[in-house]
Amino acid sequence: MNLQIYLILESIPKMLTGLGVTLQLLFLSAVLGLSLGIFLLLMRISGRWYLSLPAFIYIYFFRGTPILVQIFVIYHGFPQFEFIRDSVFWPILREPFGCATLALTLNTGAYVSEILRGGYLGVQRELHEAGMALGLSKLHRFVYVTTPIAVRIAIPAYSNDFISLLKATSLASTITLLDMTGASRTIVAETFAPYEIFISAAIIYMVMTFFIQRGFGRFEKYMSRYVKP
Amino acid sequence: MAELSGWLDDYFWGAMVVLKVFGVSLTMAVIFGLMGASAKLSKNRIANKIANAYTITFRGTPEILVLLLFYYGSAIALTKIVQIFFPQMPFVDIPPFWAGSLSIGLIVGSYATETFRGAFMGVDPGIVEASRALGISNLHTFFYVRIPQMWRLALPAFGNHMLSIMKDTALISIIGLEEILFVAEMATAVTLKPFTMYMIVALIYLSITTVITMVVMLLEKHANRHLEVAK
Repeated sequence: MNLQIYLILESIPKMLTGLGVTLQLLFLSAVLGLSLGIFLLLMRISGRWYLSLPAFIYIYFFRGTPILVQIFVIYHGFPQFEFIRDSVFWPILREPFGCATLALTLNTGAYVSEILRGGYLGVQRELHEAGMALGLSKLHRFVYVTTPIAVRIAIPAYSNDFISLLKATSLASTITLLDMTGASRTIVAETFAPYEIFISAAIIYMVMTFFIQRGFGRFEKYMSRYVKP
Repeated sequence: MAELSGWLDDYFWGAMVVLKVFGVSLTMAVIFGLMGASAKLSKNRIANKIANAYTITFRGTPEILVLLLFYYGSAIALTKIVQIFFPQMPFVDIPPFWAGSLSIGLIVGSYATETFRGAFMGVDPGIVEASRALGISNLHTFFYVRIPQMWRLALPAFGNHMLSIMKDTALISIIGLEEILFVAEMATAVTLKPFTMYMIVALIYLSITTVITMVVMLLEKHANRHLEVAK
């Protein structure tokens, strides 16, 4: 097997455009997914069944089905309904980018809320009671006592989920979006050199994973600075 | 729902294909995971390096990229090899079923490597030393002493790996395996009801993952039966 270096060099500009789309997808759906996850968490821990049950069903559905199927339901499936085509969201749902962002957001929101719930449940009960004894209100207890500790506990799992999200953005290539995987697929279709192109794309993904892990490691260290002796 | 009736048997056979892929990749993931974990825990530095490279590679790249690389890459390599002997052969590829199962097995195997490694380290070293003192061979210690103990610790995380294998099977339709997602695509082309057709796929996956979750719960109960409080 002789690797053709010039092919890799030639495909760099296209790959970089794809990288931009991948990063846009990643950050947009990460931010939106985190907000959705927090919202779902609040619903689940509210203690009222009419709030926690829908959140549970939502999480159960989105964690139990493949993300590819979710992307297809949103991209291919939603236009079946007249009211969606007439709604104000149609300009977003018409574009593959909007569909991919929506699907990734809905998916990662379900996972993130479970991760945050794990962190929330990991906070010792005594701390809560101590806050109560100090006369802090429910909101203040949640914001100043529970959240900082829950975030620290949840960081390792959240960084894993962030990396899964990065990998899931590659599925957007199946709905004609030219992210990094999509770009490399088109290049392979033109040149038929799968080794060179796919391996270089894989290396870029690996480098991104490495930096994400590093970044979250730093953040974790920062959040647990008062735990270390 | 009337338009569904003609497609139910297609969905059924598609689901069978999914289950077959699941079985094959699960077996592969267990084998790769055990091999990777033993390589990581061994004192051999070359084995350590190889296992580290394996987990870093497969945990850091998207599943779909691995799948495409395996399918198209193997097709090109095979075609070149076959054309040496039969120059008139236009194109050879390995079946999508095997390309897909192998890549899913390798990907989830890399996750299982870490799980198994942690579980092996959780086994009390005194037990391993005891079996060595009894003169049990290394191989027998591995299969009869360490694996049964490790298995209990690995189960919760491995249950999650089983779910991700199940969900990764959906990707194989991209390289042209006729499973449920593929059926849904065909059904959409005929009936023009994409939402219904893809939603059925989601529900099939949801029911399979529910069954897997319940099986894992039962297995965990079975594995921990010696820890149950007497009634």
